[in-house]
Amino acid sequence: MGLGQNRLRLVCMLSLTLAFFFVEVVVSRITASLAMLSDSFHMLSDVIALIVALIAVSFAETARASSKNTYGWIRAEVMGALVNAVFLTALCFTIVLEAVERYTLPHEIENPRVVIWVGVAGLLVNVLGLFLFHGHAGFGGHGHSHGGHSHLHKTNRREYEKPETREEEYNFMIKSNSSPGDQTSDLKSDSLNLRITAKGSLEDLDHSSESASQMNMRGVFLHVLGDALGSVIVVVNALIFTFVWTPCHSDTVCFNPCRSSHLTEHQHVNTTVLSISKTPDRMPRTVSVAGPCWVLYLDPTLCLIMVCILLYTTFPLLKESALILLQTVPKQIDMHKLNGKLRSLDGVKAVHDLHIWQLAGSRIIATAHIKCTDPASYMDIAKRIKDIFHDEGIHATTVQPEFSPISEGSGDSQCELSCRSQCKPKLCCNLTKRAKPESELTKRKEESCRHTVGWADRKEVEDTVHTEMESTV
Amino acid sequence: MLPLSIKDDEYKPAKFNLFVKISGWFRSILADKTSRNLFFFLCLNLSFAFVELLFGIWSNSLGLISDSFHMFFDCTALLAGLAASVISRWRSNDSFSYGYVRAEVLAGFVNGLFLIFTAFFIFSEGVERALEPPDVHHERLLPVSIAGLLVNLVGIFVFQHGGHGHSHGDEGHGHSHSLFNGSVGHGHSHGGHGHSHESKHGHDHGHSHGGHGHAHGGHGHSHDDPHCHDDHLHTPGKGSSKQILQGVFLHIVADTLGSVGVIISAILMQKYDLMIADPICSMLISILIGVSVVPLLRESIGILMQRTPPPLDHTLPECYQRVQQLKGVYNLQEPHFWTLCTDVYIGTLKLLVAPDADSRWILSQTHNIFTQVGVRQLYVQIEVAAM
Repeated sequence: MGLGQNRLRLVCMLSLTLAFFFVEVVVSRITASLAMLSDSFHMLSDVIALIVALIAVSFAETARASSKNTYGWIRAEVMGALVNAVFLTALCFTIVLEAVERYTLPHEIENPRVVIWVGVAGLLVNVLGLFLFHGHAGFGGHGHSHGGHSHLHKTNRREYEKPETREEEYNFMIKSNSSPGDQTSDLKSDSLNLRITAKGSLEDLDHSSESASQMNMRGVFLHVLGDALGSVIVVVNALIFTFVWTPCHSDTVCFNPCRSSHLTEHQHVNTTVLSISKTPDRMPRTVSVAGPCWVLYLDPTLCLIMVCILLYTTFPLLKESALILLQTVPKQIDMHKLNGKLRSLDGVKAVHDLHIWQLAGSRIIATAHIKCTDPASYMDIAKRIKDIFHDEGIHATTVQPEFSPISEGSGDSQCELSCRSQCKPKLCCNLTKRAKPESELTKRKEESCRHTVGWADRKEVEDTVHTEMESTV
Repeated sequence: MLPLSIKDDEYKPAKFNLFVKISGWFRSILADKTSRNLFFFLCLNLSFAFVELLFGIWSNSLGLISDSFHMFFDCTALLAGLAASVISRWRSNDSFSYGYVRAEVLAGFVNGLFLIFTAFFIFSEGVERALEPPDVHHERLLPVSIAGLLVNLVGIFVFQHGGHGHSHGDEGHGHSHSLFNGSVGHGHSHGGHGHSHESKHGHDHGHSHGGHGHAHGGHGHSHDDPHCHDDHLHTPGKGSSKQILQGVFLHIVADTLGSVGVIISAILMQKYDLMIADPICSMLISILIGVSVVPLLRESIGILMQRTPPPLDHTLPECYQRVQQLKGVYNLQEPHFWTLCTDVYIGTLKLLVAPDADSRWILSQTHNIFTQVGVRQLYVQIEVAAM
C-alpha cells in the first residue's frame, strides 16, 4: 500500500511539474525573456529527478528476482536516491557558477511583473510537492534526520539499545506499550517480537522496501525543496526589484552606474554613452541614475545561500546511499561482537571471511566461512549460527562449513591469522588448511598483506585445489 | 600490571597527523602508474584552467572567466577519479569488510552522471543560443580552442602509451566496453567558447558553450583496478586495465573530435558569418557526450545493482549442472553471483545434500568448478537433507 502511494504521489507531482514546465516555456517565448527559459530548464531537471525516482520505485516494486538479477530490483531505490543526490549537487555547482557570473556582470530583470506571477505559481507547485513528499517520506515525518539507520523493526531488544532508532520504533510499533530501555519488559517484547517475525518474509520485504523507498523519497523531497527555495528567491528578487529599483528608460538620458563599461557592450549602456557624447555642448538637465546597485547583487547572494542550504541537506543522503553501494557493514552491526559471538559457540573453531552488507533498506546479507571439527555436528552448529544472525536482524545468510581434522592445531591459527589481519587473503582459508610447511604459509600471509584485495594467480589456486583434492579423495 | 605510559598518540598535535596523512596520500598516488597519470593530467588541466582564469581577468573577458570555471568543474570529476583510485587501495576494516574497492565503480557511476548532467546543460544552452543568437567574439576563440586541442593531444599520448598492452590470460571476460572509461578524456577543448556575454539582453547564461567541445564522454576514472588483481604476481597490464585505458583513449579521441568541431565552427563563423554553427555544434557535442556515456553507465549500474556478472551469464548454468551432478548433491538453491569490482566475482549458493554424502569433497569440488570460471570468493552452504 505504501509503495503504491509513493507512485501515485510521484506521478501527480510529475504531471504538475511537467505542465508548469510547458507553461514557463510558452511564457518565455511570449515575453522573450531568457531568464524564464532558463528557469524552465530548471523545472525540466526537476521533472527528470521525478522520473528517476519513479523508475526506481517501479523497478523496486517488481522485486521479482530473475536469473540476471538474483537479488531482485530492490536496490533500484538506493540508486535512485544516489542519482538524485548527485544531480542536486551538480545543479548546485552550476548555480554557483551562474551566481559568480552575475557578480561580475549584474543585470536587471526585464519583466519583473511576469516573473513575479510565474514565480508565485512555481512556488505554489513546489510547496504542494513539499507537502506531498514530506508527509510520506518520513514514515510519519521522522525519516530525514535518522541517516537511515536501517530500520530494524524486527528485534525490540536491539532497538532499545540504540536511541536513534527509538523514534522509528515509536512511529512504527503503535501497538507496543513497552517503554524503551525497559529491560524488564523483555518478555513482553519477546512476544511482540514473535508476533512480528512470525508474519514471515512478505513483511520483511515490505519493511525493507519501505525503508529503502524512504531514501528515494528523500531524494525527491530534497529536489523539490531546492526548487521551492529557488522559486522563493525568484519571487523575492522580483518583488524587491519592482519596488526598489528605478530602471533606466531608453527615452530619457540616463546613466547606469552599476555596469562597468569595459566589461560589456550592452546596447543599453552604449546608447546612453553615445547620446551623452553626441551632444557635448548641451548640458543634460535631468540625468536619472538607475536604481540602487545593491539590488542587482541580491540575486546571486540569495542563490549562494540557497546553494549552501541545499548542499547541507543533500550531503547526508549522498553519503548514506554511497555507503550502502560501497558494501559497508551497516552501522548498527558490530562486527567484532558478532565475530566473538560466533566464535564462542562450541564446535566452531574459526570464523573467517565474514562479510555483512546491506542490500537495501533493512535487508542485510551476511556470508561467512565457519571452520568446525566434523560434519556430524555441523547441522546443529548451523542452526545456532543462523539464530545469532537472526538476532542481529540479518536474515539472508550463507554459511560455508569447513572441516578440519582436530590434529591440525597449527593450521587453524595460521589460517585465522592471515584472515584476521584485515588484508584480503588471496584465497579463502579453506584451501590452505592442509598441512603446509610453515614458511609457505607465512610467505602467503606476507603477500596477502601487501594488498587489500589480492587474488592469487589462478595457477596457484588450481595447484592448491589439486593438492587438496588429492588428499581428500 | 603498571601502565608504562599514558597513550601518547592521543596527544599528538593534529597538524602533524595531517601532514603525515597528506604525504601518505601523495605516496600512494605516485605509487601506481594509472593514478600517477591521472594526477599529472589533473595538474595539467588545473593549470590550464588557472591560466585561462588569469587571462580572462586580465583581458576582462567574461567568457574566458566562465570557461575557466567550467574547467574547474571538470577537474572535480578528475579529482573524483583520482580519489577513487587512491581510496580503493585502502585496507579493509571493520566497517568495510570488502575493503574500499567498490569506490571505483561508484566514482565511475557518479562521473557518468555528472557527464550526463553536463551534456544536458550544454544542450539547453545550445537551444537557448539558437533561439537568441548572440554575438560571438571570434578573435579570442581560435587560440584558446587550439590550446585546448593541444591539451587533448597530450592526453591521447599519455593514455595511449599508458595502456599496457598485455592481455590477462584469463578466460575471456570479454569486456567489450571498459568500465572506467577515461575520465581524463576531456582534455579541454573549452577553447572556442564563443562567449558572447557582450550582447545578452538580460540573458544570464554567460558561458555559451557553443562548441563546448567537452566531450568528456566517459568521465569515469581511468584507473584500472590493480586492486582487484594481484599486482605482484601478474605483470602490469592486465586485460581489464588494457580495456580501461583503451576506453580512455577512445574518449580522448572523441574529445579531440569535439575540439576540432569547435575549431571548424569558429572558422565557419569567421569566414561565413554562420552564427547558427555555434549552437548546432554544441548540441551535437552534447548528444555525443550523452551517447558515449551510456555504456559506462550501464555497466556500473549493473555492478551496483548486484547483477550477475555479464561475462558469467552463459557459463553459470553449466556450472550449476556440473555441481548438481556431483555425487550426493540433491539440489542447488539460491545462487547469487555478483561483481565486487572489475573481474572480482563473489557468489553464494546453497546445496542440499544427502546425509551420507562427503561434504568436504563436495565443497572442494564446487569450489574447483567455480574457480575455473573466475569466481574467487564462494560461499557454499551445505544443508543435509533429513532422511
